[in-house]
Amino acid sequence: MKENKRQLQKNTTRKKIIESAVKQFAINGLTTTRTSDVAGEAGVSHGTIFAHFHTQEELLTAVIEDVGERINTRLHEVAGGQKGFNLALKAHIEVLTEFEPFYTRLVIENRLLPKEARDTFLMLQSTVSFHLSQAIQKEVEAGSMKKLPEDMVFNGWIGLVHYYIANSDLFAPESSVLKTCGEKMIHFYLNMVNYNK
Amino acid sequence: MKKCIACGMPMQEVSDYASGDESKDYCKFCARPDGTMQSYEEKLDSLTNFIIKTQGLDKKAAGSAAEAMMKKLPAWKNM
Repeated sequence: MKENKRQLQKNTTRKKIIESAVKQFAINGLTTTRTSDVAGEAGVSHGTIFAHFHTQEELLTAVIEDVGERINTRLHEVAGGQKGFNLALKAHIEVLTEFEPFYTRLVIENRLLPKEARDTFLMLQSTVSFHLSQAIQKEVEAGSMKKLPEDMVFNGWIGLVHYYIANSDLFAPESSVLKTCGEKMIHFYLNMVNYNK
Repeated sequence: MKKCIACGMPMQEVSDYASGDESKDYCKFCARPDGTMQSYEEKLDSLTNFIIKTQGLDKKAAGSAAEAMMKKLPAWKNM
């Protein structure tokens, strides 16, 4: 019983650290945030961070993994099942909007991240590509979408979304770029890949 | 909700499970035609090809990414 309580406490602290790191990483950057700032945000001692994550890199990977997991679960809830490609794109934008400040940092700093963190980001993109590819297949079979190379359909979409995110200061300096430009991106992209009705 | 131990996909519907059997811990994409779970090599191969097909990565980069992804999953943690 005592052990359980301790484990529970440990898990709660771990969650608190991850939540605080998501916030701090979004504000100060993935590669430049200091673990002491994460500790400050979480209200724990600096040493506590290292009791849970041995290095800054380990913390970063755990945070990307955690956010990736939540995006994956949400995407599955919103876009899972027999839904169309347009709904899958909408769901993607909607879910990314929920994590936009952190995700923006991921997009901007991706190439600077350690391999494990990059692999974790790629894992997240693979779950997105899985959802989109299922929707694409159905649309192509139904004759509503052009038969294009699947990787280019995915990269075309991601390229568009990431370009707007990476330059959010130019497209929507005062607000969420996904909220401001999301609809426009979806509309344009569907016109490109769908047959004209 | 259970997650597939071999690829991590959340299994919401009965049809997501291998052979539509909810007592299984792996999904329909990780099952062989006879319903048994794919081996490590089979899964690594199919995941690598999936990444190439849907994201267009270089073969070696895709293989390395697939390996890293599988390392995180309960079925392959100790491989």
